[in-house]
Amino acid sequence: MAAADSPSATLRRRDLCSRGIRLAGKMRSDVIDLLDTYVERQGLDASASVAVVEGVPAAAVEHWDEQSGTQRLLENLAAYRTFRTLLAQMLEEQREQLGEADAGLGRALAAVLLQVSAFAYHLEELLRLESRGAPSEEEAGPPQPLHLGLFERKLRGLGVLRELAQWAVRSARDLRQLAKPSLGSSSALSTAESP
Amino acid sequence: DSHVQYERVGADVTMKCGSMDWDAAVTWMTNGTDIDESHQNGSYLILKKVNLTQSGQYSCYEGSSWHLKYQTSLRVGMPPKEPVLMCRSNNYPKGFYCSWHLPTPTYIPNFFNISVVHGTREMVCEKDTFPKNRCHIRYLQLFSTVKYKVTLTVTNALGKNSTTLTFDEVAIVKPDPPESVVAKPVPNNPRRLEVSWQNPSSWPDPESFPLKFFLRYRPLILDQWQHVELSDGTSHTITDAYAGKEYIIQVAAKDNDIGTWSDWSVAVHATPWTEEPKHLTTEAQITETTSASTSSFMPPPTTKICDKGAVLGSGAVAVCWTAGLVLAAYGVLFI
Repeated sequence: MAAADSPSATLRRRDLCSRGIRLAGKMRSDVIDLLDTYVERQGLDASASVAVVEGVPAAAVEHWDEQSGTQRLLENLAAYRTFRTLLAQMLEEQREQLGEADAGLGRALAAVLLQVSAFAYHLEELLRLESRGAPSEEEAGPPQPLHLGLFERKLRGLGVLRELAQWAVRSARDLRQLAKPSLGSSSALSTAESP
Repeated sequence: DSHVQYERVGADVTMKCGSMDWDAAVTWMTNGTDIDESHQNGSYLILKKVNLTQSGQYSCYEGSSWHLKYQTSLRVGMPPKEPVLMCRSNNYPKGFYCSWHLPTPTYIPNFFNISVVHGTREMVCEKDTFPKNRCHIRYLQLFSTVKYKVTLTVTNALGKNSTTLTFDEVAIVKPDPPESVVAKPVPNNPRRLEVSWQNPSSWPDPESFPLKFFLRYRPLILDQWQHVELSDGTSHTITDAYAGKEYIIQVAAKDNDIGTWSDWSVAVHATPWTEEPKHLTTEAQITETTSASTSSFMPPPTTKICDKGAVLGSGAVAVCWTAGLVLAAYGVLFI
């Protein structure tokens, strides 16, 4: 891990973290706007409680402050890769359901999907810098079919976007931790290896 | 036996004299004073529509022997109204606290019970020693979308009431105001004021959870505030102050990403730097200084003397004069 600790690597990490924090901030802002649009266009109640949604990565974490840098990056990357799949699925469903009738929602979904993909790539860069390399993605086959009715799908979509908004907040915090000079991600390698 | 009896304001109260028969001859007293027999029905004491002033010790004595037969402490009060509950995190991400009070007093002892549930998990709210109506909780999870539900129940001898708050982790985040706000003039800059402050000491990790700030300022003579939002740093230079005017300045803080703005900090006052008044003499000023002999007041020739702290009042003029020229004038006038 010597390369990861070199001054240039430290500067590069800090630069990537700063940019990542800005990306996460923009993504969060856009997801919140998307949430408003989604709730309105799908005829949902903004205060509707959504139970824990299967297959959606939960941002909630215990002992967050004790996580190593690598663990943070790996958890973030796994989450955003999953969101990429989930958002692509939502986009497809939305096109089938509403067609061209709601191009605005489709465009907003597509824009957020793009940011999620970009952020995932950014995380891969950070992992490469740690000489860890990004774990290979699990088979990128079609997402598992969900046998949900229309209303359940809408609620699931709400759950996905809410959790994504929360992840965007967490990611900014994770990257700030990573950027701290005293904590390099090379310290305390996590035992949580890639899936 | 001594008893305590709680009764509602406005209620009709009947007190029995212990095990004495209804037709026994008894005397009732309260706080050392006899109670008129008109309030008795047999040996029972009847108090109609009691009020708060009737709280006190009531004693019943057997007629002839004056043996104390019964004693009770009557406490007149009210059942609790719905309590007011507030929860806030001023030390994110460590945890949050909840505090409560009753909107109106009950005048009798109340007991509070608080429960905090996060999803299906029940959490313990540890009571603070001071203030007593407050408890705090440590976050076990961060970044959760599951809401917290806090229920406060207040009970007294006359009834009970409760209230519930439901919120997510980020909605209650509100830092304390910034501390140690200082505002200073900037030398040689009549329109600038330099303001600095510190993060609130209750905010545990400003490096990982940075705060942003809102500064407001106005001259005392105007009502309209100017505002500046600052995304980082704990200082700012105001560059558009009105020259010579005293300003009032305050700062507020907010987590960069979540929650709400703090209350405004303690206000500080400052006046921008002003240039020293130049060479200025009047006949009145010269007359005032005649009592001092020229030999006892001999500044170096090149020194400019200016009484910077002089208060400008009616008739008095701040003096700032070049020594050589004025001494020459004194010499001419007063030798």
